[in-house]
Amino acid sequence: MSALSIVAGAPGKYIAWGVIQISVVNLAIIGVMVLLFILALVVPFPTHDDESGGQEGRGR
Amino acid sequence: MTARAGELSPDVTADPKNWTNRLRGWFEGLVPPGQALPARQPVYVASWIYVFGVLTLASLVVVVASGCVLALGGVAWWHVSAVGHYFNSVHLWSVEMFFGFMVVHLWGKFWMAAWRGKRALTWITGIVLFGISIGTSFTGFLSQSNFSSQWIGAEGKDGINSIGAGAFFNVLNPGQMLLWHVVLLPLGVGLLTLIHIILVRRRGVVPPIDAELEG
Repeated sequence: MSALSIVAGAPGKYIAWGVIQISVVNLAIIGVMVLLFILALVVPFPTHDDESGGQEGRGR
Repeated sequence: MTARAGELSPDVTADPKNWTNRLRGWFEGLVPPGQALPARQPVYVASWIYVFGVLTLASLVVVVASGCVLALGGVAWWHVSAVGHYFNSVHLWSVEMFFGFMVVHLWGKFWMAAWRGKRALTWITGIVLFGISIGTSFTGFLSQSNFSSQWIGAEGKDGINSIGAGAFFNVLNPGQMLLWHVVLLPLGVGLLTLIHIILVRRRGVVPPIDAELEG
């Protein structure tokens, strides 16, 4: 598929909600980013628990 | 007077009027000793939310490196070469990752009020970096040398003109937009990124709001 055929391809699908109009792809990307943000807050970070002085600091 | 290897001559280091001495002292005072590349971090840094800043930085390295490769072949290279097309795609997708990681980094820092503890300038440089990065991305889309860049230029000119920037920033001039994209704006992003990182290293990583570790 050439670059020209991509440009001349079918238009994307859009969601309209009042004054807000956004493509489905962009909305999906925002959704993935929000999910990534939530996962970053709740997923435990792997640490070296066997190291001493855990409350003072940890190597990365 | 001669100094041995690894030893500084006292008459060189003691003179406060010596510009080299003053510059060296300024460099040495930019970050506290041992904090330029610390091997250990406070315990609260053991969270994935603290990873997105360095992910943004790693993406920026790929963006700049792939952009340098594209500069070897020129703006039309990716239209006629599979290798050029590959590096154009690497450039595009590393930019997508760069912005994705940067926005999650911004969300994290906003919700932990990362400007606390005399870190206002760190926050401000980050926000300005976000703005300049958007401008750099915009001029990149204007440098694609295809119908997409023509359409973006035609659609964007009225908006740029309405804020008064059209007099010196003409989005319909692909040569000017390309030079802004590969010289001026990357210089701004690089310099501000350096300042941003130095500021982070000066003050340390911001602790969580409920952590009593300030001061």
